[in-house]
Amino acid sequence: MNHKKKLLVKAIGVGLLTCASAAQAANWLMLQGTEKDGQSARAKLWGFVQVQYQNDRSSANSGDGYIPPKLIGPNLNSQSAFNVNRARIGVRGTGFPLDNKVNYFFLAEFGNNGITAPGDRNVRITDASITLNHIPGARVRAGLFKTPGAEEGLQAIHVFDYINFTTVTNQLLLERFPNSNGSYDAAINNAPIGLPSPTGIGAFDSSVGAFRDTGIQVFDTFKVDNWEHSYAVMYGNGNGLNFGNGDGHYDTYLYWSSELVFGGKGGRRQGLKMFAWGQSGKRLLDTTNDTTYNPESYDRDRSGLGFKYLQKPFRVSAEYMQGKGMIFVGQDKATFDINPAVAGGNGEEGKANGYYLEGGWYIPNSKWEIDLRYDIYNRLTDDTPFPAGAPPAVAGKTFEMNFQTITLGAQYHINKKTRINMEVSDRTFEAVDWDSGAGPNANLDGVSQRYAIQLTHVF
Amino acid sequence: MKKLISMFLLLIAASLSYQVQAGDFAEEKIVLQISDPNPFKQTLVLNVASNLVKFYGQDKVEVEIVAFGPGLRLLFEENVNSGRINGLASSGVKFAACKNTIKAMTKKLGHAPELHSSAVPVSAGVVRIIDLENKGYKLIKP
Repeated sequence: MNHKKKLLVKAIGVGLLTCASAAQAANWLMLQGTEKDGQSARAKLWGFVQVQYQNDRSSANSGDGYIPPKLIGPNLNSQSAFNVNRARIGVRGTGFPLDNKVNYFFLAEFGNNGITAPGDRNVRITDASITLNHIPGARVRAGLFKTPGAEEGLQAIHVFDYINFTTVTNQLLLERFPNSNGSYDAAINNAPIGLPSPTGIGAFDSSVGAFRDTGIQVFDTFKVDNWEHSYAVMYGNGNGLNFGNGDGHYDTYLYWSSELVFGGKGGRRQGLKMFAWGQSGKRLLDTTNDTTYNPESYDRDRSGLGFKYLQKPFRVSAEYMQGKGMIFVGQDKATFDINPAVAGGNGEEGKANGYYLEGGWYIPNSKWEIDLRYDIYNRLTDDTPFPAGAPPAVAGKTFEMNFQTITLGAQYHINKKTRINMEVSDRTFEAVDWDSGAGPNANLDGVSQRYAIQLTHVF
Repeated sequence: MKKLISMFLLLIAASLSYQVQAGDFAEEKIVLQISDPNPFKQTLVLNVASNLVKFYGQDKVEVEIVAFGPGLRLLFEENVNSGRINGLASSGVKFAACKNTIKAMTKKLGHAPELHSSAVPVSAGVVRIIDLENKGYKLIKP
């Protein structure tokens, strides 16, 4: 190596060293994975509680029954319900406060949601990680934690500006895992059922992924003037909160963000952030819907890019996401197949995409905030059509579906740690190849508004 | 003889100069103690120092922050508040780091903690506070 090259390498090294220390705790990667140098507590107790009421105004389907998305989750047994949907408590800090270079993060869920409802669990660990900050420019985080990815999933949920996720995040990214024994009751993949005896809808037996995985991540943030550039590379089991690596393959996660920082700090720091991410893995799935466990391996790939602009009183953000393989096609479809009897409706090898565009206005000199969001999710975009020889009513048709939602929300900040969210979502869901009332539209036609109110308190 | 008188006058002048630098003309002299592990106390003690400088003016107040025990973490080189410490130091605020604490932390860490460049080691934090009180400083423990 010549002298100039050596100098360049040294300069980059020094630059990284300088940047790494200057950009401490400035974004989700840093806020969740690190502690403030020289200032963190040995064990800071923290958490939050969210209490909500939701009311779905969708009408019954042609069979006079209700199935998701007309029912309130996670229990899926009514169209309106109060719920303690999140109640999380945890500790974080630096066990040995004299050493800034090691910190930990622990959080457990006591609320009633997709994390705890499957298997009727009362509590579930959602985060348990240790971060080593010894290598400049390459911090190492190991354990169970949020994977680097889409903004809606990666952000701290207690500062999320809406109550319900967008459909694209809910269906494409909030992973439902194949049942471990692959033994499905044939009656589960059934026709719509009516209230008040809705059994068999929730066919998945393990917790949703909750945008988390167990593994190891290398990450850091570099500050250049008013810009912060962050990266993360993670290698994990690909099994969400469920531990173990039953499929024998590991998932890879990549993430990059660049943010022009305007000011402020923490979860509501103001700036213009642009980001891109990608995830790749495999899943073992038994699609045969019988009592014999004969799973096969399927790819699961996800990627996206987006931006978030926040400078009070305005906020605008958007994100495009796409996925291939292991496409969720219904809470009662643990086989990831809408209709095993036909070639179409195949989620295990299907494709999907979607995006959201949303904005907020913080009403000056008030505690109110108004939010508006549009999101669309296109599911099974390359679905196999019914063959030409099929009955005319179905020939050439696919199970591609289109989910559009407009959400109008308002937030009232009682104090810095307590707020009320209110929102109404107007939903237009349809199977694009089918006439009104026909095929999947027999159920989707009736999907309409959902009202929700939620009280959040952080401690 | 003239040389002796000149040297004597120079000594007096140097002595006066030192005393002026030490802040004898300050209207208020405050020593702030930080010995607590609570992270919020770090922010608080810096806020208090900043407010004192703003209220009295840089030339009319002497502020020294004495850190010892778990509070010494405030003066660690990588402390998240190092930028604020730089700013306060340029406004005349002094920072004293207890040598006894440094010694104890060196034992636990296996190496000496790296301190902020504005931190001046003193033999013992508590003795430094007593010395300053004897010089007319008022002790405040935020």
